[in-house]
Amino acid sequence: MNSVLLSITISILFGIGTFLILRRDIIKVIIGLSILSHAVNLLIVSTGIFDIGKVPIITGSHETAVASGTIFTDDIANGVLAPVISVMTGTHYVDPLVQALVLTAIVISLATTAFILILAYRIYEEYKTTDIRELKRLRG
Amino acid sequence: MIDVMQHLPILLIAIPILMAAVMILLRSHPKLQNNLNVAVSIVLLLMSIQLLFHVWDNGIQVYEVGEWGKYGILLVADLLGSGMVLLSSGISLMALIYSLDYIQEHSLSSTYHSLFNLLIAGLNGTFLTGDLFNMFVFFEILLLSSCALVVSQGKGGHTKTSDKMEATFKYLILNMIGSIVMLIAVASLYATLGTLNMADIAIKISALSQSGTLPWHVFVIALLFIVVFGNKAAIFPMHYWLPDVHPSAPSPISAMLSGVMIKVGAYGVLRVCFLIFQDALFLLKPIIIFLALATIMVGAISAIGQNDVKRLLAYSSVSQIGYIFLGIGMGTALTITASLVYLVNHAIAKSMLFLASGSIIHHAGTRDMTRMGGMVQSAPLLSSAFLIGAMSIAGLPPMGGFIAKFMLFNAGILDQYYIPVAIALTFAVLTLFYMFRAWLRMFWGEERDFVEHGEYRPPNTSLSVHIPIIILTAAVIALGLYAEPLIILSQAITEQLLDPQPYIDAVLTGEVR
Repeated sequence: MNSVLLSITISILFGIGTFLILRRDIIKVIIGLSILSHAVNLLIVSTGIFDIGKVPIITGSHETAVASGTIFTDDIANGVLAPVISVMTGTHYVDPLVQALVLTAIVISLATTAFILILAYRIYEEYKTTDIRELKRLRG
Repeated sequence: MIDVMQHLPILLIAIPILMAAVMILLRSHPKLQNNLNVAVSIVLLLMSIQLLFHVWDNGIQVYEVGEWGKYGILLVADLLGSGMVLLSSGISLMALIYSLDYIQEHSLSSTYHSLFNLLIAGLNGTFLTGDLFNMFVFFEILLLSSCALVVSQGKGGHTKTSDKMEATFKYLILNMIGSIVMLIAVASLYATLGTLNMADIAIKISALSQSGTLPWHVFVIALLFIVVFGNKAAIFPMHYWLPDVHPSAPSPISAMLSGVMIKVGAYGVLRVCFLIFQDALFLLKPIIIFLALATIMVGAISAIGQNDVKRLLAYSSVSQIGYIFLGIGMGTALTITASLVYLVNHAIAKSMLFLASGSIIHHAGTRDMTRMGGMVQSAPLLSSAFLIGAMSIAGLPPMGGFIAKFMLFNAGILDQYYIPVAIALTFAVLTLFYMFRAWLRMFWGEERDFVEHGEYRPPNTSLSVHIPIIILTAAVIALGLYAEPLIILSQAITEQLLDPQPYIDAVLTGEVR
């Protein structure tokens, strides 16, 4: 994966999301939020190691993987922080943790988006508008 | 017995989540639901007391969920975490008993109980987790369950539904942006250090900083965490959602939000900044002090102009969380101890005041303090409870708030933070002013004029509304008269915070993974 292209994509998504959050329409704000959360999801995935042809699955049990050296361990004295560096060691997988993290983040953002869409519909019923500037009854 | 002790951290999270599901199934049996939920909350309270004593006697407890060592999810119960769990279990039990008679039957039996249990699970999880991403997950559980609880309607309907919607929308959007910021910070930290375990991050950052290769963006990540936790705690630039949300929520939920939820932010700063970002503290401390002072000023000045009793209490919460952050920001052993004492005292006094204000609103039939008056005759219990709470918040001697304020200012002066203490002391006088002005307007003076405002009969209140107020009032007085155990506990917590080595050792022992 071309990491420069990925970085540019993430930054553009962040830009679009921020722009939409500052709009006046409630629906646009919500769309902006979900674009932002997708940008963050991409950011999380990009922190893992990309290597074509490798899958994020560690085969065998954890103990055998440690013994055979396919999982590499921290060596702070020599500046090795597992599993960030990928270049030097011959791993057979890409970092599976980020994939687990991003799945969790996607599910959570799904739940919040569903909740906030229903809330937006109820606000439309109460206020008869989707203009966010009309929501100012609580001022003071 | 030993087995149960070992599994306490996970049980404190798993039981509420299980109960959330059971409560939905029991929605056709409201009586059973109420009794079961109160019983479970009492059990949780006993378990959290048990956990605190266990941690006090045997040191930090680590519970491994799954078998991936530091790469998996770890629950860590140290004194700070288990102390906060005890505080939140106590207050949530009180709020639950209060809400049995306060929340509308329909809302109570359908969703209220299960959402309340999820809220408790989220709180306990946040306080016990040892993993940054896991903390984010529990933050989201907290956020969603509290949003849904804010919308639930109390009896009498003194808050309009549209107000609740508007407040919840603000709360949800701001906190979602907060959690996006948190995810950015967590992802950047993972990309830099390759771990999400807080103890492991602490080791790696201190190793990098000793070898002089600490990348500069770690400081930026530290600042992002200040934004995240500041948003949760409603400190100065991010405070404006709180005075809308806390008054719109039904009173027991206001008590939970003001008593425990905003303390999550203080907990996060204590945990993350003092464990992980030891090397960035020189940068964070002045920022936290500045934000805390601004929060104190904004909250106190805004509270003076309020006519709505719950809005006044909410602005007072903003102001008081500033004092807690002031102690954290000064960052010495004495000030952190003081700020922990302050945190507990404010949590108990403010939840009591919110519960009492719910009863006051029912009694008077309005939220507007200008239309109340002379209620000391008709509601002697409420007026004395509110007076005791107001005295504690304002920091008058026999109450817990005095001990807290005295310790904070004393510690600040001893550590030579003269100007911040001077500013905080000035605004403490304003606290005295607005709390007593509110009490005088509501309970002193002329009886309410029924001709002008129409006939209003206060509903009959049952025992379950009075018991929590009485217990919390007793706790406020007890913390003032016999504060030694709390102070000793806070000192022990501060020791653990300032020297995180035992925490790191407990989490990472015997792991060669």
